[in-house]
Amino acid sequence: MTRLALPLVLLGTALLSAQQATPPALVTTQEIAEGLPQDGSRWVTFGGSYTNQRHSPLTQITPANVKGLVSQWTFQSGTLGNFETTPLLRDNILYVTGPQNVAWALDARTGRQIWRYRRELPSDLTACCGLVNRGFAMLGDKLFMVTLDAHLLALDMRTGNIVWDATLEQYKNGYAATIAPIVVKDKVIVGAAGGEFGIRGFIDAYEANTGKRAWRFYTIPAPGEPGNDTWAGDSWKTGGAGVWVTGAYDPELNLLYYGTGNPGPDYHSESRLGDNLYAASLVALDADSGTLRWHYQFTPHDVHDWDATEVPILADITISGQPRKVLMFANRNGFYYTLDRTNGRVILAKPFVQTTWAKEIGRDGRPMLEAGHTPDETGEITCPDITGGTNFWPTTFDPSTRTFFVNAREACMTFYSWKPDYKAGERFTGGAGQRYTSTTMPVYGALRAIDPATGERKWEFKYLRPSTAGLLTTASGLIFSGDNDGNLLALDSRNGTLLWRYQMGANLHGTSAITYMIDGRQHVLVPAGTTLTAWALPR
Amino acid sequence: MRWRAFPVVAAWFIVAGTWTQAQAPAPKNPLEGDQAAIRSGMGLFRARCADCHGMDAHGVRGPDITQVWASGRTDEGLFTTIKNGIAGTEMPAQPRLFDHETWQILAYLRTLAASNRPEPPRGDAENGKKIYQANCVSCHRVNGAGGQLGPDLSRIGAARSREVLELRIRGGVEGFLPGYEPVTLTPATGTAVVGVKKNEDLFSVQIMDTRERIQGYDKSSLKELQNNPRSAMPAFGSNRIGEKELDDLIRYLQTLRGFDPSVIQ
Repeated sequence: MTRLALPLVLLGTALLSAQQATPPALVTTQEIAEGLPQDGSRWVTFGGSYTNQRHSPLTQITPANVKGLVSQWTFQSGTLGNFETTPLLRDNILYVTGPQNVAWALDARTGRQIWRYRRELPSDLTACCGLVNRGFAMLGDKLFMVTLDAHLLALDMRTGNIVWDATLEQYKNGYAATIAPIVVKDKVIVGAAGGEFGIRGFIDAYEANTGKRAWRFYTIPAPGEPGNDTWAGDSWKTGGAGVWVTGAYDPELNLLYYGTGNPGPDYHSESRLGDNLYAASLVALDADSGTLRWHYQFTPHDVHDWDATEVPILADITISGQPRKVLMFANRNGFYYTLDRTNGRVILAKPFVQTTWAKEIGRDGRPMLEAGHTPDETGEITCPDITGGTNFWPTTFDPSTRTFFVNAREACMTFYSWKPDYKAGERFTGGAGQRYTSTTMPVYGALRAIDPATGERKWEFKYLRPSTAGLLTTASGLIFSGDNDGNLLALDSRNGTLLWRYQMGANLHGTSAITYMIDGRQHVLVPAGTTLTAWALPR
Repeated sequence: MRWRAFPVVAAWFIVAGTWTQAQAPAPKNPLEGDQAAIRSGMGLFRARCADCHGMDAHGVRGPDITQVWASGRTDEGLFTTIKNGIAGTEMPAQPRLFDHETWQILAYLRTLAASNRPEPPRGDAENGKKIYQANCVSCHRVNGAGGQLGPDLSRIGAARSREVLELRIRGGVEGFLPGYEPVTLTPATGTAVVGVKKNEDLFSVQIMDTRERIQGYDKSSLKELQNNPRSAMPAFGSNRIGEKELDDLIRYLQTLRGFDPSVIQ
């Protein structure tokens, strides 16, 4: 070694040591609470922020130039099944969950894989409707993901290695998990699916550092607890009310807001007489203890499988001259709701699709039921259908125009029911449906813009067939959606004018585009089928 | 539960590999005669099968399945058909249907099954073939020969009940299969194009015209796209095909058992 070389080596070693000594920038609760930053550098929680507004402040891509979008890269999952995820972005790295509990860290500039995680899953899963996952949560140097066999995992963000593995419940008893968790303070909030398998639903909080369960809220009260008397006999034990779609959080009120799934068995009324609390409801929980603060049941004694597992959106808006803290919710049962999120009272509720089971919500907050909409062995026709007026695909809210957006479905169904027998781990639905079409009840879809202060529709963009795409809005006045024929669509969010489209070859089923900045250029990332594609304007 | 693309099961196919149970079915339906199973089977049948096979199982788009046992099928074979579907037909696999649910469906179907053997076939297949060649072959194919505007008929006689075939030929049934919906396109300039619709989205339409050319059109380039309410299939009344000739034609179709490469013409 020469005399010159030694100091250089020492200097290099010192620099390396300094680099290694610098811990990776940790994801903080502060940045999660801040939501989507003006500089577009992050998307660190499912809905962009705790409000789930999915409204980006970015303005580089506009209604005027959106036609110029160019694909930057496409990532192929190489995995059986489709993306239903919301990718997260931090430090120019994308963290993505896919079907069958495969997950990746990708370079957001190139789409190149950095690491890949794959869980070994048992062959006898009871997940009812697809081996999917809806996304990560993150805190510190960890990512959090639920699994189809009803576990919650913490992964090391740098390697994808497991840090801890917590069991939510036994999958053999009908439990599964597909929800994107959220992190609130030092806790990871999750729920479990299984409403078709006679589970007893819950919302859990786990310590982010250790995986130790901090609290559990059962969505079905036990005997002696308020609400248990809304279940006839022992029906509460197998009442379902799973939680499989991410909720919202209000830091000021310290309340979590989650929608709950259908009561089980899905269709058979006599198997579970009563209102069936807290199924098909919105529950507001104290984030520190999981204690129920209030609830609102959208569909008392649901018999049409209308889970209230749509994504709640929070906003502060002015209604009749008064500032109100509201929660906006387009429900599978066909009604749009604006609730007071401090107490759960209904500010307004109006159908946003054709509803035959109820035309309005009464002053007491209960739907005013129409006769003849309890399924039986001979079948009854009801609108909306099983899939509902909308479903779990994310909605958006543009605060600058006070507009709520939803991909709505117009469809009806013949519902049948019969008395089922419960057997642990087996389907427990007590009925089914058959698609119903007629000239007076055509099946179609529409992107609808709704004023949450009045419930009135501002505009709509019709699809040939109902769309199951989630939405994204931007401050420049764009809304990104998709139809059910594989077209990615960009529209003017102020009037619904179609501005740009691209045939992705697969639907944005249940998933939304996200947007962020990379090297000064706004990107739009679109999950569709087995691909992620990044779009930007030309350099 | 989460959403269901109901009753379309396309998404289910994707996960079939992890769900299909490999165990061989029991040779005999263990739930036959079980009243609770029959009740459950009725609901399942109505929800999953009746759209094609009819609420009474006598066949609509799919075959009459009240005759299946009388024609020699076994519980075991029918179980496999329900679970795996029939490749190359509209009968889908049902990988998410549990075994006991499959037996429930069959238990219910047993209650609808004909106790006697089906009515013996009538008509002269040789003459029926001639009638087919004269009236049907320009739009339909059998064993690789014929027109393409209408559906392939190589197994229609095995897949549909006689009553349904008769109704269709006589013009007593409306509606059409996906891919055979009649349309008339009027371009901005030029004459109208008549054909059947192969696909469509918000922005484009793909058709086969009456000269059997497949083409795609940008909807913005069309003056009009008219979905024709009636099938392109004409009604063959008794003045065109008499009662005996109808027997012969149906008998010919009933002799077909799917595409047979040995008879490619």
